[in-house]
Amino acid sequence: MELFRREDKMSSLITRNYNLLPVINRFGIRLGFKEKTIAEVCMEKDIDTDFFLAIVNTYTDESYFPEAEFLSFSPILLIDYLKNTHRYYINYVLPKIERLLNQVIESCPDNCSSLKMINTFYQKYKAELLLHLKLEDEKVFPYILNLYENKTLSPEGSFIEVIENEHTNVEVKLSDLENLIIRHLSPNYGDNAMNEFLTALLQFENDLNDHARIEDHILITQVIEFEKELKK
Amino acid sequence: MKENVFIVHRSEIIRKGLSLILQEYFKMEIPQLNSAKDLSSFSGISNSTMIIILDAQADLNLQAIDQLKRNNEVYLVGFYTENLEETFNKTFDYQLNHYSSPLQIQKLIQVIRQSGGKNKSAMQDNGELTSREKDVIKLIALGLANKEIADKLFISIHTVISHRKNITEKLGIKSISGLTVYAIMNNLLDIQDINPEELI
Repeated sequence: MELFRREDKMSSLITRNYNLLPVINRFGIRLGFKEKTIAEVCMEKDIDTDFFLAIVNTYTDESYFPEAEFLSFSPILLIDYLKNTHRYYINYVLPKIERLLNQVIESCPDNCSSLKMINTFYQKYKAELLLHLKLEDEKVFPYILNLYENKTLSPEGSFIEVIENEHTNVEVKLSDLENLIIRHLSPNYGDNAMNEFLTALLQFENDLNDHARIEDHILITQVIEFEKELKK
Repeated sequence: MKENVFIVHRSEIIRKGLSLILQEYFKMEIPQLNSAKDLSSFSGISNSTMIIILDAQADLNLQAIDQLKRNNEVYLVGFYTENLEETFNKTFDYQLNHYSSPLQIQKLIQVIRQSGGKNKSAMQDNGELTSREKDVIKLIALGLANKEIADKLFISIHTVISHRKNITEKLGIKSISGLTVYAIMNNLLDIQDINPEELI
């Protein structure tokens, strides 16, 4: 897909890729753009246009990853964005997925023990994900912000290496959950309820992958470089 | 997948005897070798299931075997002339001794063939697990480590790991808790057998 540029209309962003709806919300941008361009809307909202473009293009084109450009942005900008994303997951996406899963369970006529196992597995996944988000919000992000503010290495050591491993574990569970449903669960449920649940789950997975990509390849790379400089 | 069987033993009596018994099942010529290093002259074979019955008490030439493993699926069967239990060697995937009955030998071959031509069987039964893989997944779900699974099923750790790899490939499930859910959903395991809090 073609990349978005500053002079493109903000409305075309959504018509070309509606998955960006929650992404623009995270920047505080809401619908009703009229004929404004991306650059104009960003200026109004006091958003760094280059940063905004880098993010929406990352979400749009999987092969697009402007590492050099990204690395030039302040980690504070990134963390702000990542925290907003976490809030969106915790307050909106996870409750929604859970509601849809409950509807699937309600749609099961009888012998729903397999679906209940799926539910238990989902709960386990959710708990692990929440723990991971909490670790980032409460430990990793403050650590980074503090690092940039005080420009000294913490005696407690770095949190940075931890997250990358964590990501893979959480990702594996989500993909297991999808495969259990798509390939192995006998269809003892209402199709519409299941389709809605699965669509939400797959969409969430896409969003999470992009999110993890930004964390692992940008934020962490930046911080590791910065730590190295401080060690000199 | 093509099948190749080798008998490697110092004793000609054992070589000839084993070969006679095995020919009944495999219906093919079975090369009889005096020592494992002679295996290196078969290094040109590729994409085969290789069953190598080795004198467990002789020097193994692992170099020649590793070379075969690169291009083939190799199963090592240790042949013992002493009591099994005490001399079990982890190098081998399976074992036989000079008192093994034809039935035991036949069973062994079946097991090898099942886990062997897995490319073939994956296509035939749409990624259904073999009965051996079901044994392994059950033990994984019960929380056993590779070493414990190996001991329980009398196979090597290497074989356990390869079973796990195949299971994950067939099912698309990697995590232990995901495999546990699969095992319960497919009645390989009863939910009472596990502690849902701990494992899932």
